[in-house]
Amino acid sequence: MAFGGYPPPEHLLGDLGMEAELTTAETAWVRTRATPFVAAPDGGVRAGVLATLVDIVGGAIAARVLQPDWMATADLTVQRVGPVLGPCVEARGSVLRRGRTTLVIEALVVAVHEDGRTVEVDGRPADPVAWASMTFAVLPARDPVPKVTMPAGLPSRWAFTGGGLQAPIHDTVGIDVIDAAAGRLSVAVRPYLHNSFGAVQGGVIGMLVEAAGAEALGAARGGDGSGVVVTDLQIAYLALGRVGPVVSSSRVLEAGADGRCSAVVELRDAGADDRLMTVANVVAVPTASLVGATS
Amino acid sequence: MSAVRSDAADVPDVDQERRRYVSDYFRLERWEVPSDDVARPPVVRGRAPVDDHTRGPGGGLRTGGLLTDLDSLCGFTSGLAVLPEWIVTTSLLATVSELRHVGPLGFRVDVVRRGRSSVVTAVDVVDEGAAGRHVAAATMTCAVLDPGSMALEFNRPVVVPMPPPQSDPVGPEAFFSIEPGTGPVTRLLLDDRLRNPWGILHGGAVAMLADEAACRAARSVLGASGPNGVAAADAVLNYLRPVRVGPVEARCTVLGTVAGRTVVRVAIHDIGSDDRLTNLGTMVVLAV
Repeated sequence: MAFGGYPPPEHLLGDLGMEAELTTAETAWVRTRATPFVAAPDGGVRAGVLATLVDIVGGAIAARVLQPDWMATADLTVQRVGPVLGPCVEARGSVLRRGRTTLVIEALVVAVHEDGRTVEVDGRPADPVAWASMTFAVLPARDPVPKVTMPAGLPSRWAFTGGGLQAPIHDTVGIDVIDAAAGRLSVAVRPYLHNSFGAVQGGVIGMLVEAAGAEALGAARGGDGSGVVVTDLQIAYLALGRVGPVVSSSRVLEAGADGRCSAVVELRDAGADDRLMTVANVVAVPTASLVGATS
Repeated sequence: MSAVRSDAADVPDVDQERRRYVSDYFRLERWEVPSDDVARPPVVRGRAPVDDHTRGPGGGLRTGGLLTDLDSLCGFTSGLAVLPEWIVTTSLLATVSELRHVGPLGFRVDVVRRGRSSVVTAVDVVDEGAAGRHVAAATMTCAVLDPGSMALEFNRPVVVPMPPPQSDPVGPEAFFSIEPGTGPVTRLLLDDRLRNPWGILHGGAVAMLADEAACRAARSVLGASGPNGVAAADAVLNYLRPVRVGPVEARCTVLGTVAGRTVVRVAIHDIGSDDRLTNLGTMVVLAV
């Protein structure tokens, strides 16, 4: 299914095989499979992929709540709070506040089966595996006709269908490592990664932030990006990435022996006078500290 | 020096000294970096000592205190960037990389986005007493608002000197009127001295409540945990609605622990305003 032609037939969201449902006027869920192609070094779903799920669930809710107005994502946070295993992961979002200028959404990510049943542990629903929040800036409509036609009735269910991932997600997105120690990575802007504004989709921004932080922190610890698992992303979206390539830089705050690792990542649109697009805080933990918990 | 004057009828008559009570408690000094370029967004720097009575179990300034300084500095910088309009905080995202501080802490705040309806600042915190070691990084998003009848007058560049040490210091729980207790619910009494110039609960007081509440909730699940107990570190705080009446209650849920990082969801309610949800976020609690 596409809304106003978005996403196009060849698109990352289709290849991630996302299913979604608007369950009430202010709630929705979005689900994807936890395949090895979206896994972090500990085997759990990458924080950047969780950010993509959250971005879609938040966007779906916001588009419905705000129509005919539209929105721009101001910030997104995601935190892993347990082993992020499948078979599928589902982000369940709800509105916290709808104001005149902002909309705030909270989402819990839970492990579910293919049919949507919540995974159980010891006979009861498993605890959430991640928590997330999003803030949207409301963009007042200049045209009373909505940009995107949302389903009239509820619940409303759809799926983004594509050929499926054929390679690890960072390869599929096309993330190139230029200088690992500096967290300098690059991704080309192309329709496959677009959002409905024709710029880089917010979840892809999350994937690049995650990869840049991991490479810098891994290098600071004497290894590479596989030596750490990103658990927390705090992303402030400042400007759209329309031209590209989008290039990251990273500053390690701490890569300590006690296992606490954090970095600040900035993204710039190299084709648009190096305009600052994103500032993000990244927190990671050593992969070795998680392997027992997720395998 | 800066001046904030209010003619608004719904803003309590709180005297000027008491309006600065919260940021003064942590003795935050701040100054605007002079610039001849009027089009350039303001750059503000700050410095705060780490007084013994503000140290937490981690050994340095309690994270609630650090967040109070961030709230004051980022809000101030954002406000200067949008004059003659002013701002209200919508979110504060902070990662704390070091809990042990020698002090003083040094702050640098930059405006990274100035839009029509919002302004975003980024801040770096270093420990000047420990060779500039990184302490924290944060971004704050504020919505631009019409200040109404409140007149905002500043002599630029703005300089606010460091307040003197308190002669009879009290700890943060007592200062912020946080009731003693244990478990997942923690209550704060809304004293007038905790209000900001708009008459609502200061964002720093919200942060201190979140810190204390999250630590109590984590302790109730984890026990004492480390040799010195537990301490709050990273924070996500969404400011949804102003706290106007009180008392204020922080209701916590321990979401899980990953590699020693316990994530606590903190929902703050203004009981006197129909129990409405005013703030929601998470605090990461560490064994220390």
